[in-house]
Amino acid sequence: MPSIDQVKNDLKEKFKSTIKGFETPLPTRLFVDVDKKNIRAICNAVIDMGARYMVSIGYDNIARDNTLGLVHTFSFDKDNIFCCVRTKVPADKPMLDSITPDIPNAGWSEREYMDLLGMQFEGHPKPKRLILADDWPKGVYPLRKEVPWNLMPPAAEDVAYQLDEAPEGCTTVPIGPFHPTLHEPAHFAVYVDGETIKGCDYRGFMTHRGIEKLCTTQVTYNEVPFIAERICGICGSVHATSYSQSVELAAGIKISRKAEYIRTFMLELERVHSHLLWLGVAGHLIGFDTVFMHSWRVREPVMWLAEKITGNRKTYGMIIIGGVRRDILPFKEDILNVMDKVEKELIAIKNAIVGDTAIHRRTKDVGYVSKEDTIKWSLVGPVARARGVDIDTRRDHPYAAYDAVQFDVPVVDTCDVWGTVLIRILETFESIKIIRQVLRDMPVDETLLYEFDEPIKPLVHSISAVEAPRGEVVHYLITGEENRADRWRVRAPTYPNLQGVPLMLLNNQLADAPIIIGSIDPCFSCTDRMAMVDLKTGRQSILTNEELERLSRSKKV
Amino acid sequence: MWLTSKIKQLFVVAKPGTVTLPYPFEPRPVPENYRGQPYWDHHKCIGCGGCANHCPARTILVRDLCNELRVMMYDGSRCTYCGRCADLCPEKAITMTPQYELATDDKRDINETMELFMLTCQRCGRCFDHEIKNAIDKLAYLGYRYDNLEMRAVIPVSSQTFDKELYEKTKTYKRPEKIGE
Amino acid sequence: MDILLIVLNIVVFLGLAPLYEGIIRKLTAKVQSRQGPPIYQPYLDLLKLLGKDNLVSDNWAFKLAPMMAFAAVTAVVTIVPIGFKANYLTHYADVITIVYLLTLAGISILLGALSSKNAYAMIGASREMITMIMVEPILAMTFILGAVRMKSLAIDASMFSILSTGYSWSVVLMLVVYLMALQAFVARQPFDISEAEVEILEGPFIEYSGPNYALFKYSMMLKQMFYAVLFVTVFMPFLHTGLFVLDLVLQLLAVAVIFVLIALLGSTNPRLRIDQAVKYYAVLIVISLCTIALSVYGI
Repeated sequence: MPSIDQVKNDLKEKFKSTIKGFETPLPTRLFVDVDKKNIRAICNAVIDMGARYMVSIGYDNIARDNTLGLVHTFSFDKDNIFCCVRTKVPADKPMLDSITPDIPNAGWSEREYMDLLGMQFEGHPKPKRLILADDWPKGVYPLRKEVPWNLMPPAAEDVAYQLDEAPEGCTTVPIGPFHPTLHEPAHFAVYVDGETIKGCDYRGFMTHRGIEKLCTTQVTYNEVPFIAERICGICGSVHATSYSQSVELAAGIKISRKAEYIRTFMLELERVHSHLLWLGVAGHLIGFDTVFMHSWRVREPVMWLAEKITGNRKTYGMIIIGGVRRDILPFKEDILNVMDKVEKELIAIKNAIVGDTAIHRRTKDVGYVSKEDTIKWSLVGPVARARGVDIDTRRDHPYAAYDAVQFDVPVVDTCDVWGTVLIRILETFESIKIIRQVLRDMPVDETLLYEFDEPIKPLVHSISAVEAPRGEVVHYLITGEENRADRWRVRAPTYPNLQGVPLMLLNNQLADAPIIIGSIDPCFSCTDRMAMVDLKTGRQSILTNEELERLSRSKKV
Repeated sequence: MWLTSKIKQLFVVAKPGTVTLPYPFEPRPVPENYRGQPYWDHHKCIGCGGCANHCPARTILVRDLCNELRVMMYDGSRCTYCGRCADLCPEKAITMTPQYELATDDKRDINETMELFMLTCQRCGRCFDHEIKNAIDKLAYLGYRYDNLEMRAVIPVSSQTFDKELYEKTKTYKRPEKIGE
Repeated sequence: MDILLIVLNIVVFLGLAPLYEGIIRKLTAKVQSRQGPPIYQPYLDLLKLLGKDNLVSDNWAFKLAPMMAFAAVTAVVTIVPIGFKANYLTHYADVITIVYLLTLAGISILLGALSSKNAYAMIGASREMITMIMVEPILAMTFILGAVRMKSLAIDASMFSILSTGYSWSVVLMLVVYLMALQAFVARQPFDISEAEVEILEGPFIEYSGPNYALFKYSMMLKQMFYAVLFVTVFMPFLHTGLFVLDLVLQLLAVAVIFVLIALLGSTNPRLRIDQAVKYYAVLIVISLCTIALSVYGI
């Protein structure tokens, strides 16, 4: 149970001069500046104190002091502390120790900055390309400031990602890049022995939209919430809220209590529809389309409610920096009616499927990961809670109005896909409970939007986490000049969870791969959010119908 | 267990009946404050450019053809229907209509162009301050670009006034293939 | 007259098989609270597929497979007695011919899948093969049960055995086994393992399109109608009235009821994994073997 001071003292004692300074802008945020030499040992020490690794953030600081920055962020879930370990490397020799051997989940973050910033990590177990397209030229690091946002290097045809070697005696089954299991492009190369999965390599990040670069070069603070909302088609409000919170923290804006309640409401409404959506998709993945149709039938009134309140089914556009755009109180009756209806229908569905042995057969003991591995791999959200790890950002790091509402965090320890089904159903009931409390306790006459005219100070670091339906979303923001962020990093919950998928797939049947991948509720567009441009648009590659037909016909077998 | 579940499932599925809508034949009415296709009322618009300034998708173009004539152009194909422009319009000239069936085979169908006659200042004879500190040029500084929406060319260049030469250049504009070109 | 009956057989099967498929689709849609496609949609599907360009790989087996499957199943449905009346061709074949022809249809699917050399088709083919090996014996046992009771391998003797000798315990047991295997016979959930859309994208048929795919689809529809007709003819002798036209109508109505059952079971169950399905089939095979043993002792 370390407090922020204890963490400080511990680190100071152990690493003395390599710690260059502390910064605590808030009682829950700790920024530690350290020397790059000891980064691995310091991160290990933080983990040993009971922290959970979240994400790493790399940023370009070349114009200011000719360095590249790297921040490893950790969360002390029981004590409501975010601990960020900041370090710097000279831009001409950006070498530092990899923390991946000890913290496997840092693997992707580090690979990301190899691609985007040209950093080098010593001792990284798999230093392959992760983010950039295979034909992206070497030596062009798109997240560096000198690279223009609309750079479009020439495309090449003859480069392809080299998948890992298949284990002895295994055949490779491609799941993706386009596959009905995955609703977005991503490529899992699954190595199977007979029907048993023996390994898996992932090549994703195919839906790059360059959002992070775009939002730090092209638009100002105020427009970003709408773009952030479009990072994900399912949990948009989560990104908008998290971004807005990080800006508010950096600028010291305190929004009204009513706006906080409305934000809570939007997040919970999103959770209700997202979990119902997932339940349907899970049914579809195990070939039970009736569950799919009926949970989506129950979900539809929620969507219509959202349309009524916000003006759109999904991209609500409710949350902006300083508050929210519309009031929900005129719709109080509607909301309560819909919630009652959804609750009743969901109870019926729950009763009908919890005892169904046919569903148990496809989900129990499938995708097993032990609690220890879950903690080691820093998995988040329902995936972790189904494996006995009791974390929930809403409770551990309260934001918006979550400090004022009562709710339970369901945790089960079945460690399999069935657990995630249960967790999601139970959480939906909790969300309905929260929505009722919000409507009951919400202040009536407060301003929705806080007016803020002063410029935001540059180079302030802030971090904000929000519990999305799929897990924890982390937004890290470094404020900049020109009324826009200098660096904005989004970590969607799928980012850590997807790294745990090979672990879940191991030794399962191929037939279970869809539901295992589906069980983390993967959102590839959230995960792929960054990098630069779609290379395809820069290339003229229009096949005429005849050509296409000729190509298909001449396929040699 | 299996049988009781199946019976319960039959109850669940028997109750609601058919819920899907015969959509294309009977469109569902949209709620009151639905955010559909935005509509500019040229009677109300004063050409302040606030919508262009706050559009997250940067889909509204404001250009002065000459001292008196300002063109505002909205490119619907890039719009995200956030309704920010309607919120911010000081004259309430923009409304989000309930129109959502916007599929078209010609992108120009959902564009909107307005030519506004601006009043000239009685003191200086200009309709707008053409100094470098003018608000329109500040837009460029905020990331607003000179876009030739017709040619779909996105150019990070802004100019003080609309000139024919630049317009011609945008027609043949090609994205740079290498950095710094 | 003989030739008329044979033509009737073909017309009834080819004409009605898509309609029964339509019943399944409509009912599934209703279970799922959807409007669903019109009941004649499968006809339109077949027509549409038949009108498309044929995209084939450069491989004789790939082109041959759909035709072989369709021909084999059509041969089966030609010789099956409907309306409790054997036609002229029925006597030229015996129950083993039927089992052979159905296996041939299955083998054609394997042939097509293996010749397309697609990773998913390979998995689909291996699953299809396992299913075939495990499910065909149950079909064979049904025929053998009749054959044992009538001491004849002739199709009509075997299929009308209950009609002529009445029910017994072994028959009831076989009926139960047949019902339990029905979803596997017609390859519907929970046993649509070899096609499994979200796992292996229709498995064996992944590379097929246009008329070739239409032939496969048509042969699948014929096959599932055959299994339903077989059930009605063998296990529902009480529909026999002696009047051929009435018999035929009653039988076709009973087949529709069987399809309602298939649709309900199919839409309320998730897909099984192949290893789970194999265990299930194994139990069924053992029980059906017991039935044969019982019937040998005349129980």
